[in-house]
Amino acid sequence: MSSELERRLEATFAEAPEPDPGAGEEALHRALRALRPVAAPRRGLRAAALAFAAAIVLLVIAAGSLAAAGALHVSFGAKPKPHRATTQLVLPNGANGVAAIVDRRLSVVTKDGLGLEGQTVSAAALSPRALYVAAGIGNSLVALAPNGRRAWSHPAEGKVVAIAWAPDGFRIAYIVHAGHRFVLHVIYGNGINDTTIDRSVRAVRPSWRANSLAFAYVGGGGRAIVYDVGHESRHVVPVSPPVTGLAFAPAGDALALEGTNGVSLVEQSAYRHIAAPDLEAFGWLNGRLAVAVPGLNSAVIHLFAPDGASRGSSRAHGIVRAVTPKLVIVQRGRNLLAGHATLLTVPRGATVRDVQVG
Amino acid sequence: MRRARRGDRDAAAVLFRRYWRDAWRAAYAITGRRSLADDVAADGFERAFAALGRFDDRRPFGPWLHRIVANRALDLLRAERRLSDEELPDTPDLAPSHAPGDRGLLSAVADLSLERRVVVVLRYGVGMTPKQIAAALDLPVGTVNSRLARALEQLREALEVEHVE
Repeated sequence: MSSELERRLEATFAEAPEPDPGAGEEALHRALRALRPVAAPRRGLRAAALAFAAAIVLLVIAAGSLAAAGALHVSFGAKPKPHRATTQLVLPNGANGVAAIVDRRLSVVTKDGLGLEGQTVSAAALSPRALYVAAGIGNSLVALAPNGRRAWSHPAEGKVVAIAWAPDGFRIAYIVHAGHRFVLHVIYGNGINDTTIDRSVRAVRPSWRANSLAFAYVGGGGRAIVYDVGHESRHVVPVSPPVTGLAFAPAGDALALEGTNGVSLVEQSAYRHIAAPDLEAFGWLNGRLAVAVPGLNSAVIHLFAPDGASRGSSRAHGIVRAVTPKLVIVQRGRNLLAGHATLLTVPRGATVRDVQVG
Repeated sequence: MRRARRGDRDAAAVLFRRYWRDAWRAAYAITGRRSLADDVAADGFERAFAALGRFDDRRPFGPWLHRIVANRALDLLRAERRLSDEELPDTPDLAPSHAPGDRGLLSAVADLSLERRVVVVLRYGVGMTPKQIAAALDLPVGTVNSRLARALEQLREALEVEHVE
């Protein structure tokens, strides 16, 4: 029978707060990216599986009989201990630095051999040439030198959920989860002159134009907006909302956008639809737009020129976690790989975010 | 569910919208922090969708998802206990001054040990049976029942003290 206390507990939990709508949209986006299609089982395979299972059952019964008769010693070892997590990053050849957030813990390694590991962060971004990393720690935006020293810390009005450092290093765009809203700010790279740009945006990482004079973000209505930091002007990109991902090309003005219809490419006023919505990651790879589409055991990476022309495709075995300017980062089992090099071994089932190679 | 397992994003989005609120509220009740609840619930769905191929669709999705969310919350909270003191944790807000409802009871729940809090949340917040909780947390049913009984006892004591004060 339910006691008075139990009824109070049920009533109290029923009055618990509601999740913020913005958090739900971000979570839905992440969840859909994790979706893996499963092939419907074929009759032949099912029959073979049943036959195999039956054989195993017969084998176990036979072994049990032998064991009972003392003719066979059957022992079951202790449960294998879970594999200890290895989170030390390895720097890929030719890179200045690499960063990743694994289960909310930041790992950074730079060319100088310096590194950070284990700091709990909510978001992170490498500076140009990986001299610093900007991270959301508690309710602050913090710039960390790779030796762990705090270069500066700026109080935010909530958790920092996305950070993007301009290519010239002079400015950082970042988004704060403040109350029930996401608020976009820009701050100088030395931690001063913080400016609020938009008080209602979505939690999508902004992307800077190659010349560092403008960046794209997603407004509260789900539309992509390009903000010109020199003129302090906004331009709405004519792509159907909601936009869920943004990536300016590393040279020129081409902007790739991910939305419910897939990936689109906008350059000057020209618009081109590039790929279907079911994708794992997208970004610019060696000056080309790379769109990774999931398959059963591997991903297909379609390449496009900045004008949208197809430039062929390649295959990656595993789940594509990030497309960086020179490398595609793939997760195969517990390993994060760049080409054949293992960057990082993560705990089983770990969440990997914000993988960046600078 | 079958369409979602085959990779149908629309069907998966419907599944998400049906369970997101409950998963988030369970994560919030266990962690006591909005920001952590956002991460835990999002991670829970990400893992659930990544593993949808291994899910037996004859079984209900909700308890399976809550199992993932509860274990994710426990992992993160246990990891936080091991943090160095350089960390800047978010402020727990399970019973903030502006929150509606029984603040005294919420504060008492927040003071429960992690192990007791999670069974209380799954039992009274999510509505799982002790057997389902046992399966979700990989514990004997007897352990779940004893944790529930001790948690209720501790809550009663805390509320009595509050009443006297």
